[in-house]
Amino acid sequence: MKIRLPLILVLITGILGALPFIIPHKIAQDFDNEFRNSVLRIIAAFSLVLGVGSIIKHHTYKIQRRKENWEYSWILIVSLVITSIIGLFGGIEGDGVLPTRIGNFSFDIQTIYMYMAIPLGATMFAMLSFFMASAAYRAFRARNFEATLLLIAAFVMMLGSVPLSTYILPRLPDFAEWILTVPNTAAKRGMGFGIALGSLATSLKIILGIERGWLGGTK
Amino acid sequence: MMTFEKNKTGIWEKLTKLDRRIIYLLLFLVVLIPLIYPFRLTPRAMSPVLKLFNHIDTIPPDKCLIISVDYTPDTEPELHPMTIALLRHAFSRKIKVGILCISLLGLGLAQDAITTVTNEFNRHALTRDDSVVYGRDYVFWGWQTPVLVPILGMGENIAKVFPVDYYGNKTDTLEFMKTIKNYNDVGILVSISGSAIPFYYITYAQTQFGVRIGVGSTAVQAADFYPYINSGQVTGMMSGMKGAAEYEQLVEERCRFYGRRKATDAMASQTAAHIWIMVTIIIGNISYFILKRRQK
Repeated sequence: MKIRLPLILVLITGILGALPFIIPHKIAQDFDNEFRNSVLRIIAAFSLVLGVGSIIKHHTYKIQRRKENWEYSWILIVSLVITSIIGLFGGIEGDGVLPTRIGNFSFDIQTIYMYMAIPLGATMFAMLSFFMASAAYRAFRARNFEATLLLIAAFVMMLGSVPLSTYILPRLPDFAEWILTVPNTAAKRGMGFGIALGSLATSLKIILGIERGWLGGTK
Repeated sequence: MMTFEKNKTGIWEKLTKLDRRIIYLLLFLVVLIPLIYPFRLTPRAMSPVLKLFNHIDTIPPDKCLIISVDYTPDTEPELHPMTIALLRHAFSRKIKVGILCISLLGLGLAQDAITTVTNEFNRHALTRDDSVVYGRDYVFWGWQTPVLVPILGMGENIAKVFPVDYYGNKTDTLEFMKTIKNYNDVGILVSISGSAIPFYYITYAQTQFGVRIGVGSTAVQAADFYPYINSGQVTGMMSGMKGAAEYEQLVEERCRFYGRRKATDAMASQTAAHIWIMVTIIIGNISYFILKRRQK
């Protein structure tokens, strides 16, 4: 039953999810709307609880067992608790029941977001450019014909995607655009068909219970 | 002679094995210097940006623009200027705007864009008619999950998907919602994202309801959307910081709105970084070929 029940649920919900796209009848459409607007939202709310619970459990375990970098788990839990309290009771911009201002220093959820979450997130993403620059310097070599083609295309794209190219070679941005519009689209469409057919086959295998990897375990 | 040859080889070998920290430091300086000593490079709007701008420009008064703020703080420098430029464009043309988030972390960014642009407009407003008013000119619906619920649900009834807005108001009491019911009342929906969310809008909202879709994407992701532009499923697109800068240029040229252009200002840095990376690739290749020839 432990395996059969999830398989039955997936079979039913899988079929119910697909049917409204091929049956335009009002009953099918209304049922789909209700299913989507009520059931799906409740499931999503549960997943949020599950997610928060899971992250707390994982990091509590790390702290208890003094696993590698366990100190950071404290930072995560404390940050989670503080931001949750401020978010729940402090309002968006300090207009809630919890005071979020001491003199000129405000710590409402929008301020925390703007001055902590955004710079931290942007920093992580910006670091990619350093790794890319280093990797390009070391590995981007015109070793053979294909690599040379790739190198030329990369140069056209890099130069074409900055306004300076308009001053140096006015037609270069158009050429870069052509690469994206024609050869890129041709390749992407081919890949897209393959991915779509693959997804369809995998979905059918999951719905029919042939593919059971998502259940976890090997049995 | 032998020493000279050896030294020459030594230089190229050293260049090939250049410490990555030197590359990082040089790239850091290349990005930093144009930010300290800025120079403006005027971008020329490319076809996808132009199509998006022109479509929004011609939205009839009974329809609205929906902006789906689907990006997170990591892509803020690249994508946030797009939201600001779209809002400036819409408000200067008196086009109604509905804003929502599929990504939870987009809420703070959407709020920031709204505050920034409404302040810009309301600072000089003399009457209520001149002002940008919440509930009349724009609505911030907030966040809804999972992804298919708002995307499909808005085709039926927006107020049902978002019973209350981001600020806790009942949406069906807002003046805005009296004329905007579902996708039939939407001129175009622009999804700005660094993830796969625009694909959901294309697959479900565009295919099933026929609503026009615009995309704002990061530069690395832009290539994925070109097949949809060609097929007409995506009306127009801003790709990366350059796309945002092009849109800012159009807003300034055609709407006569002069505000801070963050993406255009960053173009100098991006240009310098691109050229620097190209130079390093060229140096890397020269050293590679010289060493290869010497080995033979």
